[in-house]
Amino acid sequence: MYRKDVRRRRTILVALIVLSLILLSIHFSEPRSGPLHAIQRVVAAVLSPFEAVVGQALKPARDLVNWFDDTFEAKGKNEQLREDLAAARTELAQAQAAIGENTKFRELLGLDRNELAGFVPAFAPVTARVIVRSPTVSNATLGVNAGSEDGIEIDDPVVAGAGLVGRVAEVTSGTAQVQLITDPRSSVSVKLVPDGPQGIVEPEVGDPDDLRLDFISNDDEISEGQQLVTAGWSNEEYSSVYPYGIPIGEVTETTLGDENFQRITVRPYAEMRALQYVQVLTGGPERPGIDE
Amino acid sequence: MIITRQISIRLALIVVVCVLMQISFFSHFAFLGAQPEIVPVVVAAIGLLGGAVTGGVVGFATGLLLDAALLQTMGVSSLILLSVGYLAGRYREGFEIDSSLGPALVAGGLTLLAAAGFVALQMMLGVEAQVSGLIVREILMKGIFGFLLAYPLYPLIRFFLRPALVLEDSPARRPLFRGRRSKPEPRRSRRMSTPGGVA
Repeated sequence: MYRKDVRRRRTILVALIVLSLILLSIHFSEPRSGPLHAIQRVVAAVLSPFEAVVGQALKPARDLVNWFDDTFEAKGKNEQLREDLAAARTELAQAQAAIGENTKFRELLGLDRNELAGFVPAFAPVTARVIVRSPTVSNATLGVNAGSEDGIEIDDPVVAGAGLVGRVAEVTSGTAQVQLITDPRSSVSVKLVPDGPQGIVEPEVGDPDDLRLDFISNDDEISEGQQLVTAGWSNEEYSSVYPYGIPIGEVTETTLGDENFQRITVRPYAEMRALQYVQVLTGGPERPGIDE
Repeated sequence: MIITRQISIRLALIVVVCVLMQISFFSHFAFLGAQPEIVPVVVAAIGLLGGAVTGGVVGFATGLLLDAALLQTMGVSSLILLSVGYLAGRYREGFEIDSSLGPALVAGGLTLLAAAGFVALQMMLGVEAQVSGLIVREILMKGIFGFLLAYPLYPLIRFFLRPALVLEDSPARRPLFRGRRSKPEPRRSRRMSTPGGVA
């Protein structure tokens, strides 16, 4: 009897492990339109109203907990913010002077302002509330309460007031899954402004507050506080998911690397763990290799 | 644990509520760099109460629901959580649980293992990002949260599943245990009626 129980227990365990591995394999091998993805989207769509209700019902408790957390953090950030404000005032003055010059040069060259306005204004932003978050260490994703019915498509860029948040990785009729730029599978091509080099921003698994900027040569001069925006590259066949000019963050630390590239740490502007609302940039100009 | 249709419904409800609470509430906080996770704690509690098979099956189902709700790779959470439920059940089948510290330690340890397992599995699935040393702190914190969360969650789960637990204290529950499968082994019945309400 005991042996029979042990055999039964082991059989069930092995069957469940095999089933999990089969699901994993199918999920990776099938296209997004495959049956497993379709079932997943149906389950997510069924659960989303409940998620929204639970999220709203427990919002006061969530706000209370976050208030304690924010209060502790705010004390530490106060001094830093004062320094940032002083630096921002100086930069604003310089930027206003540059805008004035830019306008004059445009007039002199006869350029159409709209053609060079950049990609970002061409998108139609859809504001969405964050309703779910992934709890796992190595999976930085969140779910929002807007989906394909609102015009959201896979690979649409997602921003918050302060900067880039990520991109849409999956979409159902009423919800979308956003892959944050702190997700280990994420990488964003960026440009250091005003006239710095281009590189790739990637996360480090386990560190949700910082990003790493790669492929910046040891010869390039990078200063702390220098800002990064999305590079938005494009050619006839391929293009970046993100349009040019979305702010990402600023350089907080630079050290010369062992090889040819510097080791640069970037602090993103958007506070990924405090996001309550985001904007999904829908529509926009066609991106070769993505909108096909 | 005697699995009747009513108990299956209760288990399903616990799983759904647990997943909803996790993704809509607990995942929105970060204390000392880590989010509290109730899912492995609840699965471990069910494994401790119901044994390896119940724990494994509930862990697998919970993982499926979690992956579907978050639109993430199907099978990853199932694999991790079925291990959590199974190991908790094996612990229950092999050791006496005679204090409230036992379930908390098991839940904390398995939460820590689950967090580490998620990272390891993601690395094996082709994530090429570098790993920060901070991940150790995050995994450890998740284990500590799991340990602390087990204190309220284990008695709560036990309360919801009380009709299914063999030889519970209340005489009013006894009719539920009648029938062909209602004769538990003496060793198990002693363990189920340990003082302090811990089975």
